Amino acid sequence: MIVLAVESSCDETSVSINKDGKVILSNIVLSQIDTHASFGGVVPEIASREHVKGISVVFEQALNQAGITAQDVDLVAVTKGPGLIGSLLVGINAAKAFAFAHNIPIVGVHHIAGHIYANQIESEMKFPLIALVVSGGHTELILMKEHYDFEKLGETQDDAVGEAYDKVARVLGLGYPGGPIIDKLAAEGEATYPMPHIKTEQLYDFSYSGLKSHVINMINRLRMKKEPINEKNLATSFQHAAVRHLIEKSRQAVDDYQAKMLIVAGGVAANKHLRSEVETHFKDVEVSVPPFKYCTDNAAMMGIAGYYYYQRFKKIDAMDMNGYSRLNLSE
Amino acid sequence: MNKSLKRLVIDTATPYLYIALYEDNVLVDSIYQKGNNDHSVTLMDNIAKMFDKASWKIQDLAAVIVGIGPGSYTGVRIGVVVAKMFAWSHNIPVFKISTPALLASGADNGVIFAYVDARRNQAFGGVFEKTDETLVRLKADTYADLTTMLDSWTYDHPVNAVMPDLNVVLNSELLEAVDNVHDLSPVYLRKTEAERNQEQNK
Ligand SMILES: [Zn+2]
Repeated sequence: MIVLAVESSCDETSVSINKDGKVILSNIVLSQIDTHASFGGVVPEIASREHVKGISVVFEQALNQAGITAQDVDLVAVTKGPGLIGSLLVGINAAKAFAFAHNIPIVGVHHIAGHIYANQIESEMKFPLIALVVSGGHTELILMKEHYDFEKLGETQDDAVGEAYDKVARVLGLGYPGGPIIDKLAAEGEATYPMPHIKTEQLYDFSYSGLKSHVINMINRLRMKKEPINEKNLATSFQHAAVRHLIEKSRQAVDDYQAKMLIVAGGVAANKHLRSEVETHFKDVEVSVPPFKYCTDNAAMMGIAGYYYYQRFKKIDAMDMNGYSRLNLSE
Repeated sequence: MNKSLKRLVIDTATPYLYIALYEDNVLVDSIYQKGNNDHSVTLMDNIAKMFDKASWKIQDLAAVIVGIGPGSYTGVRIGVVVAKMFAWSHNIPVFKISTPALLASGADNGVIFAYVDARRNQAFGGVFEKTDETLVRLKADTYADLTTMLDSWTYDHPVNAVMPDLNVVLNSELLEAVDNVHDLSPVYLRKTEAERNQEQNK
């Protein structure tokens, strides 16, 4: 089965083609990151405009690189949410038009399911598994007992971990996006600044607003007193605390559900410190972190998720399919 | 000539969903109905139903004609993306036209002020002269205060909701062929708020 997938939920225009939910024949990603960098974050209206400009070219490149024609495609999968609504609607309508023009069935897929299924590309899911989904918009723990079966165990009660990184980087004047910048800086520093131990009411929930405020207040205090700030050490201290919180909650969930596998998904999965901490703390279970290129938003992961969705439910969507800025993983 | 000319016309830049199927300049089927910010749901759904009913296929089309705004940003993108993907999918010639011009094509003959409502009493509007045969532009599409345009511009009648007439459009130089389908994009007329703020702060 050949699946063509479309992803446009934020600032990446992407089309990918896979065979049988495994082999990635092509994965074209047109990133707008340079366009949005000068605004210090993604501007939704600009993102939507850029998606329209790039969408057909990305389709064409994906087919060409895969060495197939539209007639070879058996299923179209497209991100239906969550995400920026204007951006989602470009991808969804492009996917519907393509599917209709070639008489191909279409399925709408949840963006987070895509991030989780990025792990199926180079490894094999083993159930039950715990998925830690970490990105600029998400910090969630999800239990999977079989393919395309998601149970949300917990989530952030305030900021997503990626948001906290962005905010800290901005206050330090380091630029955007904050994740890779802080990760790089932190690799050269030491955890010398005291950080709070994060607590949440529910066992599997996360919270990042307290840590974020702590760091920002500390920076402001030091600046007021005109004391020097060791940016590298501050980055290390913040990153260690942020990652420790993720590790602790994941460890708890893996133990409680006797998971055979821990999956780390989402843009923050590219973080080097998180990767090494996961390796250190989960020697007893199989750990899967997708290759870097499948961590950030891309259509390859959506295509894999689309394949498994279709295998499990044998259900397709109609031409009135819509996009949703907010969407539950079970929908 | 045996093969008939099938043309699909789309505009989603206004509150109305407009889809028309023309065969040899004769209207086969059409929709012109007020939406509820839901062109994303209704456009492809209705195209699919109309094509089924007429036993048309996208690959049979001789042309796709699309209104490219200015108008609702989210709305106009839906129609433009669908037109773009149809044209690219089967290598079909695609033509673009200003949405106010498309509106003017359906108006009574005369000098027409055609506009699309925007928020806060603003509108995207232009002035056209329409006859039985064709349509010419008298004033460029502009984003401005609607009351000011209504009061100070010269025209016979204003229109902001009327079903377009393709036969007028086909004779008008306002209809433009798109050479490279990948270049097809809406006309927004305005930069985004973020860009305007950035320029102001420079
Ligand atoms: Zn994502």
